[in-house]
Amino acid sequence: MADDTLEQLIGTSTGRSVITVERGHVARFADAVQDPSPVYRDPRAASAAGLPGIPAPPTYPFVMGNFGRYPELQVDDDPPGSPVAALLGSLLAGGGLILHGEQELTYRRPVLVGDVLVGEGRVADAYRKESGGHTMTFVVVETIWRDRDSGEEVTTSRMTVLHRS
Amino acid sequence: MTALPGGTSSPRAALHVGDQAPVLEHVLTRTDLVVYAGASGDFNPMHHDEVQATAAGQPSVFGHGMFSMGLCGTALTNYVGIGNVRRFGVRFVRQTWPGERLQTRITVTALREAGDDHLADLDVRLVNEEGEEKVVGSATAVVAPGA
Repeated sequence: MADDTLEQLIGTSTGRSVITVERGHVARFADAVQDPSPVYRDPRAASAAGLPGIPAPPTYPFVMGNFGRYPELQVDDDPPGSPVAALLGSLLAGGGLILHGEQELTYRRPVLVGDVLVGEGRVADAYRKESGGHTMTFVVVETIWRDRDSGEEVTTSRMTVLHRS
Repeated sequence: MTALPGGTSSPRAALHVGDQAPVLEHVLTRTDLVVYAGASGDFNPMHHDEVQATAAGQPSVFGHGMFSMGLCGTALTNYVGIGNVRRFGVRFVRQTWPGERLQTRITVTALREAGDDHLADLDVRLVNEEGEEKVVGSATAVVAPGA
């Protein structure tokens, strides 16, 4: 893919998701990241910790788009498919590897069980580098999650994925 | 020490630049990877299917990068309190392998104020027994005033 095509990707939407944050998933995720804290499992412990509900572990926002994305919550103007998936798919068809290069999360407040959040993603950057005989294609996707009811920003994910030829 | 708005109280009465968080140590197992796959929804076979991973030229299945970041997140919230992290970012440097003894390395690099918030910046790493870095990153957390 020519670099001007890559440049055209910058700013494009990667889609919108409306998701619910569910207690069972949060507890399971805390198990998976080896955190036994009762704050992730018991509303009384969360309350004693000064939190208005059971919070999710700090890396949960990276995966929450995979759960609780029920069809009736979605809005019908969701753009079809992700241009990033299409790009990485076409690169991978010619061989090589897809790697998660970097991940950043920022938080205005903790994600809480019971939240209904709207995530909107866009391509923040896309570029190519030559390194050690490999062509590296980088795509940075920024997803902003807002509270559906209040519209307040809750958390933002900035993911750098790359294809190495 | 009082609870902070929106989060648990910091476990330390006072932080200093150069302070190190307690190390979280974890020996990675294939079961951990299967549990993480289910809990994250990431079913890339490189993380749970030994047959496919070795066919792809890998010595075995290997850990999700986000498992490494998640382990660091657990050590981070153990130190600064759940609900107090404001930013957390890492670079994925090396793969992790079943049997590796992974250890977190978290160090306070700066203490500062931003508006009404008292913030700590932290260097966050995950290493194996040989000291090989797996993830390298940083975080910012709200800490108790006067920390």
